[in-house]
Amino acid sequence: MVDTPEASGKKRILIADDDKDLVYALSLRLGAAGFDVICANDGEEALKKAVREKPDLIIVDIRMPAGGGFSVIDHLKHGLTTRDIPIIVLTAFDEEDLKERARVLGAKFCFRKPFNDREFMDAIKSAITRAP
Amino acid sequence: MKVYKIAYLGEDKDVILALERELKGANFKLVAAPGDYNGIRKVAGLNPDLILWDLDNDPEPESFSLERFRRADMKGQPVICVARRGSVKSAVRCISSGATDIIFKPIQEPFIPRAAVALNIGELQKRLNWSSSVIDDTNNQIKRILANLKDPAYIVSPEFHILYMNRAAEEIFGEGLRGGACYTVFYDRSEPCEVCLKSKGPARWRAVLKNGKTYRFVSALVTNSSGEPEKIAIGIDITPDQEVKKIHKTFISNVSHDLRTPISTIDQYASILLDGLTGELNEEQKKCVEVIRRSNFRLFNLVENLIDANRILSGDFKLRMEITSVREVMDLVLDKLKAQAEDKGLKFEVEVPDELPRIYVDKARIAQAIANITGNAIKFTDEGRVQVRAGYMPRDEGRIIVSVEDTGIGIPREDLGKVFDLFYRVEGDRVYVEEGAGLGLSISREIIRAHGGTLWAESVEGVGSAFHMTLPVYG
Repeated sequence: MVDTPEASGKKRILIADDDKDLVYALSLRLGAAGFDVICANDGEEALKKAVREKPDLIIVDIRMPAGGGFSVIDHLKHGLTTRDIPIIVLTAFDEEDLKERARVLGAKFCFRKPFNDREFMDAIKSAITRAP
Repeated sequence: MKVYKIAYLGEDKDVILALERELKGANFKLVAAPGDYNGIRKVAGLNPDLILWDLDNDPEPESFSLERFRRADMKGQPVICVARRGSVKSAVRCISSGATDIIFKPIQEPFIPRAAVALNIGELQKRLNWSSSVIDDTNNQIKRILANLKDPAYIVSPEFHILYMNRAAEEIFGEGLRGGACYTVFYDRSEPCEVCLKSKGPARWRAVLKNGKTYRFVSALVTNSSGEPEKIAIGIDITPDQEVKKIHKTFISNVSHDLRTPISTIDQYASILLDGLTGELNEEQKKCVEVIRRSNFRLFNLVENLIDANRILSGDFKLRMEITSVREVMDLVLDKLKAQAEDKGLKFEVEVPDELPRIYVDKARIAQAIANITGNAIKFTDEGRVQVRAGYMPRDEGRIIVSVEDTGIGIPREDLGKVFDLFYRVEGDRVYVEEGAGLGLSISREIIRAHGGTLWAESVEGVGSAFHMTLPVYG
């Protein structure tokens, strides 16, 4: 039997960030926590993978090549198959208006780098269980 | 002694004789000339102090006017008209046309007292003319300065009607707008702006005008000739400053983003190692990674403090004002400060009376200022105590005063004025300072200033220091 996420019952998380080192670190942490992790390094790749892989949660950076985080969120929230996927924003910017903009566009949580691991993991669990 | 020159313009031999007789031996010199054009010119050249004008010079004495003297370059000397006895109508006409006095001929009464009065009047007139020419010059100069200013300037009446606009203002708003309401013409409003309604005196404000540029205005009240206060305002284009500010803001935002990104990555990998996600570490390895993580955290704090300091010192921060109390603010920082003081074996006392009025401040920012100042007090005190006290000053609109006093090393007298300067450090600073030393007090002062309060210091070297801040009372 092939060990697909569907078969194993693992929740799937898409991480979209152009910082590959951070993406790798997150995938280690999330993998250890029992999640199936897929990665994208720019906005365009993130949108493609979101449609194709139907993740249960998307973690997205604000500043990325080929479509920044805001445009990704906007597209996702207007896509029939992606609009219900919960989104967590992870950014090194700390301007209040950016966080507000992310929330207005439909992000569930907004974390600033560097972030507290426990709070971050709690937010991921809460976003996935609350998702329809 | 000055000899006064008196010029008689006329051809009446009896008048000349009478005047010569009376003025003989006194400090007067009589000059006589015919009352025609040449006579007047000749007399004008002698620059007399007083002119006697015989009304018989004119076939129509009623047509008397000072104009002919002015035309002949006379200097506005007093003029006494000499009229035939009984010609009252001519006499009245002369006075109303600007003559100083009138005497009747044949001259029978003493002339010198009349001449003295006329000379005095002439003297006063001269001074008056001088004063009004000075006033005219000054007025013209002020108008020229306003007109030639590159910055917009205008004057409005107490009822907000535009009385004057200079060229720069007309270039922005258009011409022919005098008499209109300033708030409508300048700002498209239907009622006066708050700054004018609030302040009756001089004011400062910032406005984006119709040309899209940002101006900082200053205004002053000037009383006009009818005693009404008119407002004169001048705006200075600060658009370039604003643009520099914007670039600065973007720069700081990008730099802080790029600094936080690797810090975050280091933190992630250190956690992954410590959490054993890539295999268990031995105790020695754990210690090493913990040092990496701790140092990274210190670096993170340093970066955050520098960014925050930059924001505050460049005025790029917003206050989140709320109604609160000194006690609530103190609660935010009390535990940490107490622990810091007790670690050094210092007594830490807080005296905040229950009955203090509420304050209207940004709680987190005021807490930050108190923590900075108290943190300093703890840092520079080796034994004794650090005390935070709050009290109420009913003066003016009412203020809360918070004081932080210590029994520390104190501040050298010559440095007391410098402690709020950026990057100030006490000479031979023997205390290790974690967070970018020399910013705390400058930041605190900016925070207190942004609340409309004041922060100042007192100190006696070797005895201790006291820092006091005032905060606005709510309501």
